[in-house]
Amino acid sequence: MTHARSRRTAALLLLLPCLLVLLALFLAPQALVFEASLGRRSAYGGVVHEWSAANYARAAEPLYLGILARSVGLAAVTTCACLVIGLPVAYWLARHAPERHRNGLLVLMILPFWTSFLVRMYAWVFLLRSEGLVNVGLGALGLPGLSLLYNDFAVLLGQVYGELPFMILPLFVSLEKLDRSLLEAAADLGATPLRALLRVTLPLIRPGIVAGCVLVFVPSLGAYLAPDLLGGARTVYAGSLIQSQFAVARDMPFGAALSFVLSLIVLALLLLFRRPLQAAQEA
Amino acid sequence: MSETRRAPVLGSLAALVYLFLYAPILVLVAFSFNQSRLTAEWKGFTLEWYARLLSSPQIRMSLGNSLVVALVTTVVATAIGTAAALALARGRLRRPGSLMALIALPIVVPEIVLASSLLLFFAALGLRLGFLTVILAHVAFCVSYVVVVVRARLAGLDPSLEEAAADLGAGPWRTFLKVTLPGLAPGILSAALLVFALSIDDYVVTSFVAGVGSTTLPIQIYSMVRSGVTPEINAVSTLLLVATALLLLSAHQLERGARARVAAAPALLGLAVLGAPFVAGTGAAPAERVLNVYIWSNYIAPETVRKFEQRHGVRVNVDLYDTNEALLAKIQAGNAAYDVVCPSNYSIQILRAQDLLLPLDHTALPHRVNLEPALLDKPYDPGNRYSMPYFWGTCGIGYDRRRTGPVDSWDALWDKRFAGRILMLDDARETIGAALKRRGRSLNATDEGWLRDAQRQLIDQKPLVRVYDSGSFDAALLSGDVWLAQGWSGQLAKVREENPDLEYVVPKEGSSLFVDSLAIPRSAPHPELAHAFLDFVMEAEIAAEICRTMQYSTPNRAAVALLPPEITRNPAIFPPPDVLRRVELIEDIGDATVLYDRLWTEVKAER
Repeated sequence: MTHARSRRTAALLLLLPCLLVLLALFLAPQALVFEASLGRRSAYGGVVHEWSAANYARAAEPLYLGILARSVGLAAVTTCACLVIGLPVAYWLARHAPERHRNGLLVLMILPFWTSFLVRMYAWVFLLRSEGLVNVGLGALGLPGLSLLYNDFAVLLGQVYGELPFMILPLFVSLEKLDRSLLEAAADLGATPLRALLRVTLPLIRPGIVAGCVLVFVPSLGAYLAPDLLGGARTVYAGSLIQSQFAVARDMPFGAALSFVLSLIVLALLLLFRRPLQAAQEA
Repeated sequence: MSETRRAPVLGSLAALVYLFLYAPILVLVAFSFNQSRLTAEWKGFTLEWYARLLSSPQIRMSLGNSLVVALVTTVVATAIGTAAALALARGRLRRPGSLMALIALPIVVPEIVLASSLLLFFAALGLRLGFLTVILAHVAFCVSYVVVVVRARLAGLDPSLEEAAADLGAGPWRTFLKVTLPGLAPGILSAALLVFALSIDDYVVTSFVAGVGSTTLPIQIYSMVRSGVTPEINAVSTLLLVATALLLLSAHQLERGARARVAAAPALLGLAVLGAPFVAGTGAAPAERVLNVYIWSNYIAPETVRKFEQRHGVRVNVDLYDTNEALLAKIQAGNAAYDVVCPSNYSIQILRAQDLLLPLDHTALPHRVNLEPALLDKPYDPGNRYSMPYFWGTCGIGYDRRRTGPVDSWDALWDKRFAGRILMLDDARETIGAALKRRGRSLNATDEGWLRDAQRQLIDQKPLVRVYDSGSFDAALLSGDVWLAQGWSGQLAKVREENPDLEYVVPKEGSSLFVDSLAIPRSAPHPELAHAFLDFVMEAEIAAEICRTMQYSTPNRAAVALLPPEITRNPAIFPPPDVLRRVELIEDIGDATVLYDRLWTEVKAER
């Protein structure tokens, strides 16, 4: 059918700029880095282009695999926390917030992100430190001070702080266009609100949940600011490890190899969860 | 709507989340009015930092650059990404799934890898680093986010509406404009907001691909944070927030049907704040000749730059970096046109070995006689053929003498009495170096046994250490969070002003010395002017002015007589003479760098 063909041509034209950007500014540069990952570090931090798999063998050592595994764990916990906190908030924004303020509230959610994340992390350090505002407040109430900074709690707090809007926005976008009459129908048929949520709302907003989880999980893997500043850099995660290969050890071949291993882990996880992801896309 | 009111639990949860998101913002705004130089304690109200913003062309320029880059990136990336999302959702393509996976791939790659790959790529193309490369790079990492967000919206929009429009005789354009686009609008808005946020706060990628005159606000901030989160940073962040909030407020009013006149007031105010950097920025007279300086933040005062501009009738571009490695990466890539750079000693060693520096013409540098001989003719640059010392400093211990008593040895950082009150630098060379010095060894040691011993000491020490931090050790010390901090003299010199009980000592076992020097890259477009600049900053009055405003140790002997006593008497700036005899320069150790990095990673991975 010519209609379908012209439609496909139009689609390809629409895709073209995006594919060009990806090809020229992502795939081609990544190919250069992949080539570098097969080489080795020169004495002055350049790349010696003698191919071997040595960097990948090194990345598979328990020291580095352990760090990568811990990063996957942190990213997973961050994603769950963001989903649990983000879902009710997105639901409130989409369903209960006064409609005329809805866009305004959405913008307010992202506005803090227009200031430097680094500076906001330092503000958290100020809030959480032992003589910080939170503990001073607790003291004023006669409560004992808490150790809030330089531990795993602080890392998670920083991670959730940095990623939460990336979960809430896609969830909101899906929830907002959800057909209200479906929920009313469920209620009319006697479904309790909880049942309606589990049986109607959640399946329908699955694309939003998937988009949010991907947008939170994947960047979390490479995070380094929250672990370093709020965690006191007491633990290494993949982000800082790779960062330091490029920026301190000037061992680009090994840093590149680590980064490709990380990407492989992500792709493997996406494959593992292929079913729900596909189902989400078809929904 | 009745439903609106019936959700007190959800509503209060949402309010808590907003409080969570804005808590650090409130801190930041409050501290932009604080008299203290560090975000550590409240000292009283002042508007000084806002006044300083107005007089800092550097911050204004970087703010302006950031806005331009973020706006262009938002428009371009949102358009390209939305088009792709439409094609994927409605185009009946054969394999939308694998295309989508390809498009989402850039999100997977850590930023630093993206950054260095783009630098390699632009260098391979011979593309000069600047605005173009920054915007291209930003578009590259933002497009994927747009596709993901817009597609999530499209996935649930009922295509039958579009089909109905088509059945009723609407053309594809009309259908798109009247049916698809309005349905899509919230998705596009969300995506655009995300892109703007990603772009305006991007540091890693930008620091690798920015060139002459394209320093953005995050680069400025990161390099300023090296000397503590200053209230200027808080002030500029506050202004940016207020301005964007005003603009958004008027957009919101327009959307709600307010008259254009009502909405115009906040919009104009917001535009005025955002436009100020551009208007004020044009104050500098355009000059034929320019000098491009690439230097650490807080290393040269605007007044000094202005004097040079006036004397030579030129314009000086100052761009900033915050690590030697960022500087090395750019000079090695070879596509940035800097005339003067300020590498530290070991970086000069690396640049020299790769023949990337121009031999200096000593006849054009008569004022070099002012320099302290003890800091000249070092192994990293024999005879100073390639570099002239600019600032120097040491690594040592900052401590609160009321709590710790006198400290003169690295052993204090291993003292169990101070458990949980010790800060170590997050730096393989300095921490391993301190442990080596504790045993009386060179901090450039490459003997594996010695290094293993140093590592063991650091692992034993770890339970005592509260935090590893190379950026804000001064604030941690000032706030009382730690009592002892390993740190560099420049920052620790300044905390004494705020709390005279904070002392600085270079331990008796010895420590590291760094010399940041000015040098001229071989690829410099204006080598003659660069020589003039090097000589200019070695003049006694100029060197004294630089030392007075920046408060780092000057290598300029002639300048010392011109300095006020509160500076010459500060032992962190002018240490007792025996200190120079027990410090050692950190050298590039070639392949052993990898071993140091590995040993340090093992220390950090220890739980």
